[in-house]
Amino acid sequence: MKRRRSLFLHLNQLKQMIKKFALVILFLLALLLMILNKNNSLILENSTAPATSGVAYLVDILVVPAKMLGKAYDYVDELQKIKQDNRVLRAENRELKVLQNKYKALEIENKLLADLLNYVPLPNAGFISARVVAEENNAFTNAMVAYVGDNEITKGDVVLSDDGVVGRVDKLANEYAKIIMLTDINSKIPVIVEKNRVRGILTGDNTNFPKLIFVPLDAEINIGDRIVTSGVSGVFPAGLPVGQVVAVSKNEIKVKPFASLSKTEYVKIIKYGIADIVKQSENEK
Amino acid sequence: MDDNFNENVVPFFQKSLPLISSVIIMLLAYLPINFALFNNVRPDFGLMCIYFWMLHRPDLFNLISVFLLGVVDMLITSALPGATLGAYLIMFVLVYNTQKYFNAKPFIVIWYGFMALSLLTILVKWLLASVYYSTFLPLSVLIFSYLIGVAVYPLVSMSLAFLQNTFIQDEGL
Repeated sequence: MKRRRSLFLHLNQLKQMIKKFALVILFLLALLLMILNKNNSLILENSTAPATSGVAYLVDILVVPAKMLGKAYDYVDELQKIKQDNRVLRAENRELKVLQNKYKALEIENKLLADLLNYVPLPNAGFISARVVAEENNAFTNAMVAYVGDNEITKGDVVLSDDGVVGRVDKLANEYAKIIMLTDINSKIPVIVEKNRVRGILTGDNTNFPKLIFVPLDAEINIGDRIVTSGVSGVFPAGLPVGQVVAVSKNEIKVKPFASLSKTEYVKIIKYGIADIVKQSENEK
Repeated sequence: MDDNFNENVVPFFQKSLPLISSVIIMLLAYLPINFALFNNVRPDFGLMCIYFWMLHRPDLFNLISVFLLGVVDMLITSALPGATLGAYLIMFVLVYNTQKYFNAKPFIVIWYGFMALSLLTILVKWLLASVYYSTFLPLSVLIFSYLIGVAVYPLVSMSLAFLQNTFIQDEGL
């Protein structure tokens, strides 16, 4: 009885102490989370995955009524534009048919030349389409969450919209994937300038215009140059459209992404067979 | 059955309403809605909820609620884990120590209070993230997002006040 009372007193003291220092403990916890993230801790990533999935599911539920309201407004707005769009699309279609014929001829020529050189082609990339359920664009991050279902997605897979590269898969949480956009501070993509094949790295800085870095000093880069993925490192397939140079100064080159990052409803996630590269880097950690 | 429901579930719902409403408002902020004003500078709705509930119902919104809001944000966002939680805790400390100055004051004073405290909080968060990434994050985006947050606060405050007046009755708690 005495022992039980003493234990109760100890527990009570502990409870009082925790209450007294709760704020300090929570601040330390916040700091610890940052340190764990700095070290790319897999513990943090794996332990939060189920909870992340639960929260993403909640957002997914909220998306439905919000989107219905938005779509009703868009429908009325778009009715006026349909006639004009139709005319433009017909003209565009005619041009595309001409281009398609040219493309087919080039494809055949390319195959013949590759056969002549005994060229070993890169692996074919498959893709899945995913619905965006949450997005965040602010000074701290540029990211989105997409519903991927039970498809086999790998960390690092490339994410595209109809217009170009959106970013890459950063974290996986059951049926949802966190995607960091190419404008995010953590995003680094090997690219080339399409015109003169100058290599560089496109790095985000949480603004709308990521920077092109590690470019040779004597490289001739002008406003309007198209930037595409280089395929170096094997993570991103080569030749995917990324953006266009919008500003060139002594210190930095700014690129405007082709993809409308804040208007993306659906994305394509490219499966490029990089699982081995990611596994290897995680093993190294 | 009805009596049981009224005695147990209703008070529980009323006690949890500040946290539940804050989580829902925070999640709404992440919806992929093409709204020009919010496209690149979404304000931090979590800060608004913490400020509102800590001023108006500190008995129902405590440190644990703030911590849980921080955790929910960490789970959905790809931003630096712990930074938002730290910012929310700072907001908690600031409001906790200044709430006596805002008691029974006109809304404009409370609004000014939000302007001052949220500015301090987001600047600390910005500093933390900048130190972490070893580079200054874009301050212009942050300031614009802050200004939108200040502009939107009356709307959020009105919605939360409506919830409070409609669903939280003191005699039930």
